[in-house]
Amino acid sequence: MTLHQFAYRNVVRNFRIYAAFFMASFFSVFVFFIYSMLVFHPEIEDGLLGNVPILGMVIAEVILVLFSWFFIFYSMKAFLEARGKEFAILLHLGMEKRQLSKLIFLETLLIGTISIFLGMIFGYAFSKFFFMIVREILMLEDLPLYFSWKPFLLTVTVYSSAFIVITKLSVNLSSERKLIDYMKGHKNEIVHKSYSRKKAILAMVLIAAGYLLALFTTKATVISIASLVLLCITVGTYLFFSDTTQYLLEAIRKKKKLYWKNANMLSIAEQTFIMKNNGRMFFIVTMVSSLAFLCIGTLATLSSYTSQYDKLNPLGLIYKGHTDNPYEEMHISSIVKQLEDKGLSYHMTHFDVVKQTSSFTQFEVEVFRESDINSLLFSYGYPMVRLLPGEAMFIPYTEESIKELSKTKVRTVLVENHIPITIDRVYPELIFPSSIVSLNSIIISDGDFKKLKKPFSGFPDEEPGYHLFTFDIPQWIETTDIGLDIFRIVSNEYLKDKYSLPFYFENAGLSYSYLLATYSLFTLVGLLVAAVFLLAAGSFIYFKLYTNLDAEKRKFDVLKRMGLADNELKTLVSHYLFPQFFLPWGIAMMHIIFAFFMLQKILQDIANISIVKEFVLSFVLLVLVQVIYYYLIRWRYIAHVRN
Amino acid sequence: MPILQLKDVTKVYEGKVTHRALNQLSFEVEKGQFIAVMGPSGSGKTTLLNLISTIDQPTSGEIILNGITPHFLSKTELAYFRRRQLGFVFQDFNLLPTLTVEENIVLPLTLDQQPVHVMEERLKGLVEKLGLHSFLYKRPNEISGGQAQRTAIARALIHEPNIILADEPTGNLDSNNSKEVLDLLSKINKERHSTIVMVTHDPIAASFCDRVLFIKDGEYFNEIYRDDRRQTFFQRILNVLSLLGGGQVGDLTSIRLP
Repeated sequence: MTLHQFAYRNVVRNFRIYAAFFMASFFSVFVFFIYSMLVFHPEIEDGLLGNVPILGMVIAEVILVLFSWFFIFYSMKAFLEARGKEFAILLHLGMEKRQLSKLIFLETLLIGTISIFLGMIFGYAFSKFFFMIVREILMLEDLPLYFSWKPFLLTVTVYSSAFIVITKLSVNLSSERKLIDYMKGHKNEIVHKSYSRKKAILAMVLIAAGYLLALFTTKATVISIASLVLLCITVGTYLFFSDTTQYLLEAIRKKKKLYWKNANMLSIAEQTFIMKNNGRMFFIVTMVSSLAFLCIGTLATLSSYTSQYDKLNPLGLIYKGHTDNPYEEMHISSIVKQLEDKGLSYHMTHFDVVKQTSSFTQFEVEVFRESDINSLLFSYGYPMVRLLPGEAMFIPYTEESIKELSKTKVRTVLVENHIPITIDRVYPELIFPSSIVSLNSIIISDGDFKKLKKPFSGFPDEEPGYHLFTFDIPQWIETTDIGLDIFRIVSNEYLKDKYSLPFYFENAGLSYSYLLATYSLFTLVGLLVAAVFLLAAGSFIYFKLYTNLDAEKRKFDVLKRMGLADNELKTLVSHYLFPQFFLPWGIAMMHIIFAFFMLQKILQDIANISIVKEFVLSFVLLVLVQVIYYYLIRWRYIAHVRN
Repeated sequence: MPILQLKDVTKVYEGKVTHRALNQLSFEVEKGQFIAVMGPSGSGKTTLLNLISTIDQPTSGEIILNGITPHFLSKTELAYFRRRQLGFVFQDFNLLPTLTVEENIVLPLTLDQQPVHVMEERLKGLVEKLGLHSFLYKRPNEISGGQAQRTAIARALIHEPNIILADEPTGNLDSNNSKEVLDLLSKINKERHSTIVMVTHDPIAASFCDRVLFIKDGEYFNEIYRDDRRQTFFQRILNVLSLLGGGQVGDLTSIRLP
């Protein structure tokens, strides 16, 4: 029997032992391949997917590769450790270290080849399903399955090099262990209390400081503070797992009343060692999960933003200009022409908005004419406004402001023309997007509007009003290429310190397509990263358990002899597994809650939407997944230690 | 009334190769007796101990412990039975590495959810009697084999069980530690009138007992009772062992006099 045959028989006849390692490799190939299928999709390469930046997807793919390498490396290490006894027999029989390395190499290569092969087959089979999901998310018309050698070649290259490098690395890097240690099998390192009280407290302080900073940050400071928060939290979390957990558990151990009660002793003592031995892993899992949560949370937020976009931006195109804007006629006629060329139906309304000073606040108000507004409301299909002379109505600037303004009743005089008005109601729908109208916008009757002869007192230093052209377009998503030249001028001007153009242009369809592109990128990257991270975080724990299984079995055997009942065994296993699963997640959740406080602040300023609902929903989903994973592993674990 | 009764106990392991580990074995142990079960490798000693420990069930026959037939009990009742009635001492000590010596000792009481003051009282008594002061707060990997076995004995005693089951308690110890542990066991047997069932290979260990039961190939072979002098008792044990070996002395080469 040659070494090749030996390796082959080892793998084929003991496939159950290799199953865990195989599954880990298989899944990372599977996910990678499906993603590659998307990246190499001809429609994406042709740019039909919209403006999804290919670069972003490539970066995501690189992250994925790095992470799956790390994942395979870790699985490999756990797998080799679990097989220590088997290697000991071979070494005992006189196998050279070089031969053992070759054996491991051959076996891994075999498993690797099988998992690459099966991963690609299953990946190809599930690609269509994945494309369907992507199509739904990105609102594409069609994303057909295709065949190309590129994703296959990439997957084979990445993973065969990964398997070769990782095997060589893990065999050579594994510390030189004595044969006698191999014979005794894997021993859990028993570490003594080696925490420092200072570090334990420092961890708490750092985390608390990070949270407080996150709470008190404002939009202006967010960029500078974010990195500081990140630093605090990262260092704090690391120390939390290395020292604080030890410190807290030691404190509990000193309280005999609590510690010796029931079987608390066993689970608490066990936790000390779990935390000590796996602190670094828990740290990684926590940070990785935080990242995954953040991706998913952002995703949910953005999806809610896009779904509200329609409501927040009721108008297809808006052109706003000074009263003496020289380009007005040219721009409007070009927009109208483009709309007609494209065959889009539209309803244009022209507003003459006049600025006046209110005697009530001494500030300026923007005054709209009743008939202008009604013309727009008519095209919306909203109820009309009827105002008598002396009556006025607020124009709401956000959804929230509707409620607020409906309670406000103001008697004021438009100072320049001495027109007394009573503003006692608000239009119950959003008419303009919030970026267009000022906070003080009112509608007055046509009769009163005619009397506004004298211009705004600030004139000529300030504009006495403006012209507003609104285009209500039912098929607003299709307006992406209307007024593109004007849009470019406006967005270039935006980058300058001072906005000095006499006009302003907004294209909801175009903004939406940009937003959608960003969102699609986040979706793809987030989905991918979350899927891999979730899988990996759980698998890390599983491999750790798998490695220590022999020692655990012995322990439970002793306890069973001493009279541990079956339900107590289950409780003990739960106490043993629960913190491993949920402590890193719990910490990650805390981090994320505060991260979202920061995010909420930025988003509120930009879009003024609340993300609490989406946030809770995505959390509940994640917790559900983790709970299922927990019960799955608990079930396997109990089955293992029971006999 | 005997505290432990075995009636025609047979144990057959089913599987690809059926194996009869015990065959119609019957004996009784009186309360307060210190009994050793001896026999060559594969004679069914460990099987016997597992059956008495109630973690395994006989294929046929009956085991009665302190008037109770444990094999009629439910799984949970069995666990409760073990934690209250039985104490265990193992060859490789089986102390839990995560707990200190002190915590290992009180473990059976915590399983039984006893109040903390009871644990502390009993622990205090045992620590004094077994001399555990010097290493009470150490962990199992920081103490010697003898100390570990003394800890294990303390653990087996703390819940005041009716029967103590010892599986080769001296198997991993050097001669000095072995003697210390055996002295301790016989002292406990005399002072507390604890019943001890010890399975052993070692004739020296057996010579500390009141009675030695020999089994061979899962069947009752012979038994002898202790007389006044340990030296002559030891000699008689050796004699039976040589008979047990079927005339071959291969089994006896390692036997030495103390």
